[in-house]
Amino acid sequence: MRGLGKFLAVGLGVLLAGCATTDPSGQNDPFEKTNRAVFDFNQKVDKFVLQPTASAYVAVVPDPAREGVHNFILNLDLPVTFVNDILQGEMDRASDTFGRFTINSTLGLGGLFDPASDFGIPAHTEDFGQTLATWGAGEGPYIMLPFLGPDPPRDIAGQVVDIFFDPTTYITLREHFWWSAGRRVVSIIDVRSRNLDTLQNIERGSVDYYASVRSLYRQMRNNEIRNGRPDVKNLPDL
Amino acid sequence: MTQAFHPARLAGAIRLFAIAALAAIALPIAAAQAASPAEDFVQTNVQKGLTILNGNAPQAQKREEFRSFLLRLTDLKRIADYTLGPAKNSTSPADLAAFEEAFREYAFAVYESEFEKYSGQTLKVTGSVQRKADDFLVSTVLIDPNKTGQDPIQVDFRILGTPGHFTVADIIVLGLDLAITEQDDFSAFLAQHNNNVKALTAELKQRAARVQAGGDLTGKN
Repeated sequence: MRGLGKFLAVGLGVLLAGCATTDPSGQNDPFEKTNRAVFDFNQKVDKFVLQPTASAYVAVVPDPAREGVHNFILNLDLPVTFVNDILQGEMDRASDTFGRFTINSTLGLGGLFDPASDFGIPAHTEDFGQTLATWGAGEGPYIMLPFLGPDPPRDIAGQVVDIFFDPTTYITLREHFWWSAGRRVVSIIDVRSRNLDTLQNIERGSVDYYASVRSLYRQMRNNEIRNGRPDVKNLPDL
Repeated sequence: MTQAFHPARLAGAIRLFAIAALAAIALPIAAAQAASPAEDFVQTNVQKGLTILNGNAPQAQKREEFRSFLLRLTDLKRIADYTLGPAKNSTSPADLAAFEEAFREYAFAVYESEFEKYSGQTLKVTGSVQRKADDFLVSTVLIDPNKTGQDPIQVDFRILGTPGHFTVADIIVLGLDLAITEQDDFSAFLAQHNNNVKALTAELKQRAARVQAGGDLTGKN
């Protein structure tokens, strides 16, 4: 399995290398001009749609209900995490994921509650973008997608593959489209509502918000890829 | 009589259990005693900083206390120089000094604009790695008593120097490195301003002044 993964990763790497052009800033952001324009657009969408919606959600929906929604969404993501745990050879983490899904889907009433955390099984997420990274695929040039935000090729590829790892993809309901669209919308509102202060702080604390988000996005992904272990060898040369 | 009830075996099992129990009690104590000087430095000093932030002193006094605390504890000049990246080499000593001062005021402003967010957080050192004779990474978790459902936040402190002369040179929150983020932020600003460090110095000064005047860093609100 890992051999196949390496093969895919190398193939993807070659494809990505083909896309990249020269990059004077050294930030691997050859499309910076376009990316900045998309970023400005996304900020407007955020300001006029997402942020008000998320604020209203926080104001109207009581805390325990929002917690339940959050738990439910995270629980739905666990099968994808489980497959990627295994593809990365992380068997302990795979068994954590399996335990969390089993306990929270049953005792946790379909994922609305999180008794697994009370039992001391820590939460984590994995996705195929991270799996590609552990197989050696590079991130590729920075890409800012409309509505979706930072999404370099490795993460785009990962998101596409993860669709196939998600069991709900194979549940054929008459309302399948509405189910998956609803899940997406709710999870976006959930994420945004939990980061109202954080994003505001980043914007306030940056002289170039676009560049700060680019830096933080990459650092966040690298931290996830390392499963939260500090990168002791590659600390800045202060 | 089965083997399991043999008195000698039972005694052996009890002895083993006692040793295990003793080890369980003794081990955490031993671990606590073995905390390295860098770990002690972080535990003691950062907790002091949190105590200032969490205290009930008037805002102005809090600000002064926290300022002198930060100056004593951190090497802001080193961090400032790092954030300039390669632009540092083409900056005159006078401009560099002006930038370092502006960076210091900006750093204070960033912290001060967050003052009201602190309420009872505590820090627990979880381990450390020595990179060189005078270079350590001390890992901690920040525990917020108001957010019981939330996982503790991992905060790593980069400590440079030798015992008695330690300084905090960098902070990494959930894998996000402050020095790297600032360098990436500033270098993008410099790239759009002809690599003019004076422009960055002016921008930082302006932002810090806004906070002093009671506004926020961006001046948007």
